[in-house]
Amino acid sequence: MMRQSENLTSRFDWPLFIAAVVIALLGVVNLYSATSVYQTAIAERYITQLYWLLGAGIVGAILCAFDYRHIERTAYIVYAVGIFMLMVVFVLARDVRGSARWIEFGSFRFQPSEFTKLTLILALAKYLHDDPKNEGRSLIDLAIPAAITMVPAALIFLQPDLGTAMVHVFIFLTIAAVTKVRAKSALIFVGTSVLASYIAYHFILLDYQRARIEVFMNPEADILGKGWHAHHARVAIGNGELAGNGYLQGMQNQFLFIPDQATDFPFPVFAEEWGFVGATVLIGAYMFLCLWAIRIASQARDRFGAVVCVGVTAMIFWHAVINISMTCGLMPVVGVTLPLFSYGGSSVTNNMIGLSLLMSVSMRRNMVRPERF
Amino acid sequence: MNLFFQRSDTTEFRKRFRWIALFMAIGFFVVIGRLFQLQILQGAENHAIAVENIVRRITLATTRGRIVDRNGVILADSRESFNLYVVPEKLSLDSTWPKLADYLGLQQEERVRLEDKLRKIQEDKEDPRLKQQILLKEDIGWAANVILQEQAHELKGVSVVSVQVRYYPSGVAGAHLLGYMGEVSAETLPKLKSAGYLEGDRMGVAGTERAWESYLRGTRGWEKVLVDAKGQRRKDPGGVIDDADRRVDPIPGRDLRLTVDAKLQQAMHQAFKSELAGGAAVIEVKTGRILGLYSKPSFDPAALSGSFGRSALTEAFRKMYSDPLKPAVDKTVSGSYPPGSTFKPFTALAALEKGLVDPRASIQCRGFLRIGRKMYGCTHVHGPTALHGAIAQSCNVYFWQLVNESQVGMDIIAQMGQAFGFGQKTGLGINAEASGRMPTRAWMTYRNKGRYLTGFAMNAAIGQGATTVSVLQLALAYGVLANGGTLYQPQLVRAVETSNATVVQEFAPRVRRRIDLDPENLKLVHKALIAGVNEEGGTAFRARIEGVDLAGKTGTAQVGHKLVRGVEAEKVWYFNRDHAWFAGYSPSAAPEVAIVVLVEHGGAGGKHAAPIAFEIIRAYNEISGKAAPKPRDGAASRSSAGRQQDAPGRASGAQGRQRTP
Repeated sequence: MMRQSENLTSRFDWPLFIAAVVIALLGVVNLYSATSVYQTAIAERYITQLYWLLGAGIVGAILCAFDYRHIERTAYIVYAVGIFMLMVVFVLARDVRGSARWIEFGSFRFQPSEFTKLTLILALAKYLHDDPKNEGRSLIDLAIPAAITMVPAALIFLQPDLGTAMVHVFIFLTIAAVTKVRAKSALIFVGTSVLASYIAYHFILLDYQRARIEVFMNPEADILGKGWHAHHARVAIGNGELAGNGYLQGMQNQFLFIPDQATDFPFPVFAEEWGFVGATVLIGAYMFLCLWAIRIASQARDRFGAVVCVGVTAMIFWHAVINISMTCGLMPVVGVTLPLFSYGGSSVTNNMIGLSLLMSVSMRRNMVRPERF
Repeated sequence: MNLFFQRSDTTEFRKRFRWIALFMAIGFFVVIGRLFQLQILQGAENHAIAVENIVRRITLATTRGRIVDRNGVILADSRESFNLYVVPEKLSLDSTWPKLADYLGLQQEERVRLEDKLRKIQEDKEDPRLKQQILLKEDIGWAANVILQEQAHELKGVSVVSVQVRYYPSGVAGAHLLGYMGEVSAETLPKLKSAGYLEGDRMGVAGTERAWESYLRGTRGWEKVLVDAKGQRRKDPGGVIDDADRRVDPIPGRDLRLTVDAKLQQAMHQAFKSELAGGAAVIEVKTGRILGLYSKPSFDPAALSGSFGRSALTEAFRKMYSDPLKPAVDKTVSGSYPPGSTFKPFTALAALEKGLVDPRASIQCRGFLRIGRKMYGCTHVHGPTALHGAIAQSCNVYFWQLVNESQVGMDIIAQMGQAFGFGQKTGLGINAEASGRMPTRAWMTYRNKGRYLTGFAMNAAIGQGATTVSVLQLALAYGVLANGGTLYQPQLVRAVETSNATVVQEFAPRVRRRIDLDPENLKLVHKALIAGVNEEGGTAFRARIEGVDLAGKTGTAQVGHKLVRGVEAEKVWYFNRDHAWFAGYSPSAAPEVAIVVLVEHGGAGGKHAAPIAFEIIRAYNEISGKAAPKPRDGAASRSSAGRQQDAPGRASGAQGRQRTP
């Protein structure tokens, strides 16, 4: 027992930890600048964010201490709780910008759709853990994981929160991509997906969601109206040029041209102040984190651990890429946060738990496998 | 196979991890590529857009030039007017309003009215004005503004906006001459945009304000400031705006120095106080400069310019256009009237210059003239009358006989009249000028459908019939009689100056033409004009004021009977009354100024117009510092008139000034 815990601490994954800390601290530093334009309590958000990081870090540390196989056993229950919370949202819905995303306990609000990403990952990992296959999977084999994904994704889409629902689907697709799927099945799947998204765009999406996509397709058409967010975020990034305007001196940010600069648009603030150099460093940190996490997955001691790592990595990757892409005009604007960097308790906690799962898998990657019997 | 073992077997995934990693790396590189495009390739472009986002060019107001009289007395200037705005939603009727009303010093009636207005807006939650700044009171005055600024902290929802408005210290006395200002209309705005006018701008719409708009107006400046996305002004964090390109100062409008004398203008207003309508002009005979130009009824140019607020503006316009005496018309240049007997000197000159009449020859005036079956009545029974008496005592029969017996035809009269500038615009340059009419025989024949009657020429000889003149034309023509034959272009603006009184441009007198007249003939007319005022029996003799030296001719012009629309029947008699005229110059020996007075529907010229002319000339003498000492007896003026028999055309100004008693 003694030997094992020694073993654990010595296997602490420093690169993972440092990459996460760098991103989180850059986030706090940037948050201070982003909110410095306000005279109100908003300017104090960076302190709140520090508390969240610390709190979530402690929760994460505790989680690491437990073997993740305990979690494996309760994965479906956790998943069910996530779905339940999404349903509660519909009942206790509180309107924030025309969509119901939050659950409130007194002064404390949290966003179940942040956590269902993790519960989905756990459920998918559990399913694939219990369903090892050596021959290629057919579409029918993937039907159950797909159904597991579609339940929370559909509920979130109905909130409506297109961005987060999309992230759920992307997580599933990324996990599906590491499984062995028959080539023919994959082709059929891609074909039907294209068809389905065409139908979805024309018949299922709400007007404002379609408007955002149209703005993305034609970014300069309506700068003063629907394209305002995207346009000014893009200008701010460009205004950073090579070396940036300097810390606390981002012009577009200081003159209030960047909307939601703490939550959805912290990246333009950062890119404007630190320029192409700073932005590349930040993206580099994300890239390192993701690639390192894939490395952890490849070394996982069991299927559950591997799939969890791929899922968490997918979550971080898609969040980061979608968020940055939407701010620089590569994607339509959807409300997706930048992991560890954006302000927000739910987002920070969720990402911390995800990282602690990575850490947990990493620390236990080469532990002695049980004897065959 | 044991499930536990199988669960630990990650070989299914193993081959694909590198592909996932590659996919993610590509994703990040795509994003970095996009950043390279935005920040490096299009960086300068985006920086320019970011700067453009926060830089606003605001216009800086300019001040309109002043208009001053010949001595620098202000006739028109701009002042700040403070308008009070409130946001009804923010203004508390219980705590703020009583204080505000006290600071403003509102009368009880207005206080209740405004409070009701605010309460109504506050009670109606749907009212769009609830959240807007509404104009509560215009022109609250400088003192009230100071108090409100001091007490601003306790007046929530109250703000004061200052605007430049025009004011006219001379008030109604110089209204037509100065004109007034009006807001640029929506229809003309597109045309004026290129000249730098903006919506809500005011420009001159009448008089000098209009004619000299481009000089008076000035040029706006601009300044670049930084504004955030919410529209708030911000300090420059440094280097955003190029200092060389930060500000262009406004250029104030030019000041105009007029030729008129504000005191004389006021005196003219005073002199007209007993008459309802008319006009008068005083000009310098040796330059054509206008010393005074007055039209009655007048209007308040400041009220029409909107300087006292919108309600005062509407009221002023209503008053101006509902008055049957037509205050909007400048009676000195825009109105044309039959000159009546004031025209006789020109008929006389026409006859003399053509050698058609012997000035010493008398005719017999029996008080009427019978031509065929028609009887023409004279003003009196003048008895034997020669040219001198015919002008001085205004004998119509003499002039009719010039036509009937001396062959002074229509065209001879018209030729002389046109030489003196009748029938042509004078070129004053302000207000719509009437050209009047100096009819020729051909014109009369044409108008009368091909039939020409001798009566036309008889009418023309005494300034009746189709002949019409404006007050200013007549004054200039008498100026010619006084100066010996030079017709000047009237001049109203003497110089253009900067706001610190440096002369930018000065205007010299302009001669329109020299009329070739025999000095002997002029002298005859001149003597007759002196007699008309200073000799017993002269038509203006009774209006004489002792010590005021004047030569001139009265006129009583008949008015065609016509019903004036919108006037009650019992008032029509007024509009059928004759126009009263006086035209002359002063001092008689060496004339300096010509004066014409018209009293619309005033009646007899000697009774109604001549006294006004004397009043004005007396004021002129006083103002120009040569007020005659109280004359000892009535003979003084008469004897001086008798002594000064030399031809006016030969007397120089300096000479005249010295010789005036």
